[in-house]
Amino acid sequence: MEFKSDATQETEKRIFLSRILFSISLISLLVILILLRLVQLQIFDSDKYKLRSMNNTIRTHSLPATRGLIYDRNNQILAENQPVFQLEMIPEQIKDIELTLNGLIQLGLINEKKLETIKDNISKNYQFKSIVLNNRLTERQMAVFANNRTGFKGIDIKARLSRHYPKKEIMAHALGYVGTISSMDYSVFDPSLYTGQEQVGKTSIERDYERLLHGKPGNEEVLVNVRGRVMDSLGKKPFAPGNDLILTIDTKLQEIAYEAMKDRKGAVVGIDPSNGEILILVSTPSYDPNLLSRGMTILEYKAIEANEDKPLFNRAIAGQYPPGSVIKPMLGLAGLHLGFVDPTKYEPCDGAFFLPNYSRPFNDWRTHGPVNLKEAIQASCDVYFYKTAIKMGIENMSDFLSKFNLGTTTEIDIGQEKAGVVPNPSWKKNNFKSKENQSWYKGETVIAGIGQGYMLTTPLQLAFATSMIANKGKSYKPHLVKGITDSSLSKTEYIEPVMVNHFDDIDQNHWEIIHMGMKAVINQKGGTAYGMFDNNYPLAGKTGSSQIYSIEKTRGKDVPENFKDHGLFIGFAPPDNPKIALAIIVENGISGRTAAAPVAKKILDVFLEK
Amino acid sequence: MITTNKNIFSLKPSEGLQQRLHIDFPLFLAFLAIFMISLTAIYSASDSNIDVVINQGIKILISISAMLVVAQFSPLSYARIGPWLYFLCLVLLILVLVIGETRNGATRWLNIGITSFQPSELMKIAMPLMIARYIARGALPPDVSSVALSITIVLIPSYLIMQEPDLGTSILIAFSGLVVIFLSGLKKRYLAIAFTLFLAYLPFMWSSIHPFQKKRVLSFLNPESDPLGSGYHLIQSKIAIGSGGLFGKGWLNSTQGQLDFLPERTTDFIFAILAEEFGFLGVSLLIGIYLFIIGRGIMIAINAQDLFSRLLASSISLTFFVYVFVNIAMTTGLLPVVGVPLPLISSGGTSMVTIMIGLGMLISVQTHRRLVEK
Repeated sequence: MEFKSDATQETEKRIFLSRILFSISLISLLVILILLRLVQLQIFDSDKYKLRSMNNTIRTHSLPATRGLIYDRNNQILAENQPVFQLEMIPEQIKDIELTLNGLIQLGLINEKKLETIKDNISKNYQFKSIVLNNRLTERQMAVFANNRTGFKGIDIKARLSRHYPKKEIMAHALGYVGTISSMDYSVFDPSLYTGQEQVGKTSIERDYERLLHGKPGNEEVLVNVRGRVMDSLGKKPFAPGNDLILTIDTKLQEIAYEAMKDRKGAVVGIDPSNGEILILVSTPSYDPNLLSRGMTILEYKAIEANEDKPLFNRAIAGQYPPGSVIKPMLGLAGLHLGFVDPTKYEPCDGAFFLPNYSRPFNDWRTHGPVNLKEAIQASCDVYFYKTAIKMGIENMSDFLSKFNLGTTTEIDIGQEKAGVVPNPSWKKNNFKSKENQSWYKGETVIAGIGQGYMLTTPLQLAFATSMIANKGKSYKPHLVKGITDSSLSKTEYIEPVMVNHFDDIDQNHWEIIHMGMKAVINQKGGTAYGMFDNNYPLAGKTGSSQIYSIEKTRGKDVPENFKDHGLFIGFAPPDNPKIALAIIVENGISGRTAAAPVAKKILDVFLEK
Repeated sequence: MITTNKNIFSLKPSEGLQQRLHIDFPLFLAFLAIFMISLTAIYSASDSNIDVVINQGIKILISISAMLVVAQFSPLSYARIGPWLYFLCLVLLILVLVIGETRNGATRWLNIGITSFQPSELMKIAMPLMIARYIARGALPPDVSSVALSITIVLIPSYLIMQEPDLGTSILIAFSGLVVIFLSGLKKRYLAIAFTLFLAYLPFMWSSIHPFQKKRVLSFLNPESDPLGSGYHLIQSKIAIGSGGLFGKGWLNSTQGQLDFLPERTTDFIFAILAEEFGFLGVSLLIGIYLFIIGRGIMIAINAQDLFSRLLASSISLTFFVYVFVNIAMTTGLLPVVGVPLPLISSGGTSMVTIMIGLGMLISVQTHRRLVEK
């Protein structure tokens, strides 16, 4: 190093020192900058970053609640949750995925058609996530897998719960079914209750008691790493299982009714008049709800939906049929009560009724000769009721029929119920467009007297009305749920029947006359159902047939099947202490006597034996 | 004025054991504290992988040994080898560009049979030696031609390293040289001119740097624009630091680290792990230790007996500060992500050894002072 004088060295030192001082100030400034930045991040914005750190690492896994079970009135299980076994694979544990999949196909454990979908799933998901290969293994397949499992590391069987309806078609319309949640369902139900779940009640009990059956899902907070793999559980909130339901349905009667109806289209509704409990609710043709809740393809569903016989349609509550002659006891009662009918007076019947200014006669189904009210019910005399209708007038008739809850829904506890129609001039005015069609004709009053024309009722309404007749006025709202069991408290709350009575002011004798007529239908010679039941059968009833087409054309032999009259039957048993009120409709059954009454007999033979 | 300053900054020369062993006890204790922090942080950041910790421990021992050896030689000997080392490094840097090993798109390594190493690391030592030697040869302040030549000495290796590309190291090496020129008393107007030239150079630099470096700078300016891409490091780093709060989540409780959200967490982003686990208080302590090392380095520089030692010691101290600053500023989002490790804490590499060699020379300056009689 070169020699430097002391003076030079001092100058150099001075320059150096001043520069060092400058550097120190700069360092101080930068250190303060860093400290301020740390204060900002770690103190002022800390909460924000803590949240983001948590969002990074904490995931909430939903623990779906087990769906409530459904029992019949005798504790027979109607809807349950069955474990189904599915085949899953964890791709990262498998050496050669192609080889493994082919091996499984050869064993018949995977559907070859689904191979592409499976491969697609594997490529789209994390390698540690399990992929479903077959969502429902048969017992045979499970056995096959058990025998071969050593060759398939990373493949496993997993159980999940699936809704199962052991009574299949028999209970379908009463229970409904569960299906894949749609965006429509989310507008009805709180989506937060359905995280991690795929199914929701779609119709009937499963739908309308969804909130009770569903339960509250629990959740588990888990710690995940950057790839989403679960590293640890941070805490669990268990799910609250759904409530169990006890239905009013009597499976045994339901089975008999279904068995009797299964080859026909139609419906059977049976109500206990003492409390409104629905014992039977059958609509045929039916469907297997298990197929629907298992998850059908759109094509399979469309095929069911397109079926001409409409198996998904719940005829029992939504099928609207002209009541035909089964309306006669109610109209007879109206006539008695309102003073238009003298029960002792005989009216002639020569097979037809004429209205002034009407060229066409109103035909009876046969000539009855002179009949009084009781006999008119017993033998279902049309002319007698044509006359009664004309005497009463349509307003009186519609007012009185409304008391039987016709024309309005019964407010049964499952949805999709239809209200039917009890026509009158104002109804016609409101429901027709052209002026010409809006006016009421006298002839329409006449045919309303035998439950034809615009009048429409559902089987449920008819059963409800029958229960009112059975109890002489007093009745209870029809309902399907008898009790709700809170499974966490194991306490059952029973539904209080809701009484309805619009007939306080009716003379008991009037009811008696109607009952006599209806008993005679079954047990007296000339009764329209006489001979269809055993002698002195404890039943009061009424047959009916309702035209879908005009009267003349549908009474021949060579009428196309779907133009044939519907056969109807209503009845209650035993007449002096009614335990059941029935309404039966057999579509295109031609006559109530031959088509519907036998169904009633099959049900009652069993019911009354108890 | 000077005398008063001298009193504030005066540092007793090393005596007794310290001088004989050429150890500076205060600095040595600070290093030990930093290394303890390093092992603690790396254990956590590596998911409690003891192998990584042992590996780091070995590197620490090597680094300390290197420091102790380096401190044994006098500053004079370093002044002598400075130019030789510098030119050797230049040759190696050119070789890197010709026959270097490429990893992750960057050609920084030279394979020398048994192992491969980064000549740019060696340049970190060579640069302050060379430039201090060159400046100290003449009188202060240096004249224009000296300054021009000094700048050339600085820019050639910087340019070569930028071509590897290794922007971070390039800038830091340039800094370690330029700081010497600055301390030598470069006139203020030259500084102003240099600063203007630098600003004019920026657009050119922008066009010459690699796309991934551009991406880093852009993502620095707006990290949320690409949260899963180039902005990801910074976002996750800020989440880690911010979520640490005042007291931190506690050792081994870093969720950002333990659950893999934060990449490069044993190396460039280890500060974020420390901030998450030990909070503002913890990192303030760390920054305090760093400032102690830097402060003592500056004192050693001020009290050094000759110009070369003074420039060398101050360059080492200030560069060390810049390392610390750049890394922390980068992990906290004050600077773009340039890939500079946190000195003495981040795991791996030769960078710890080179830094400790530099600090060894600092100690050499301190322990080779003769007791000067006034």
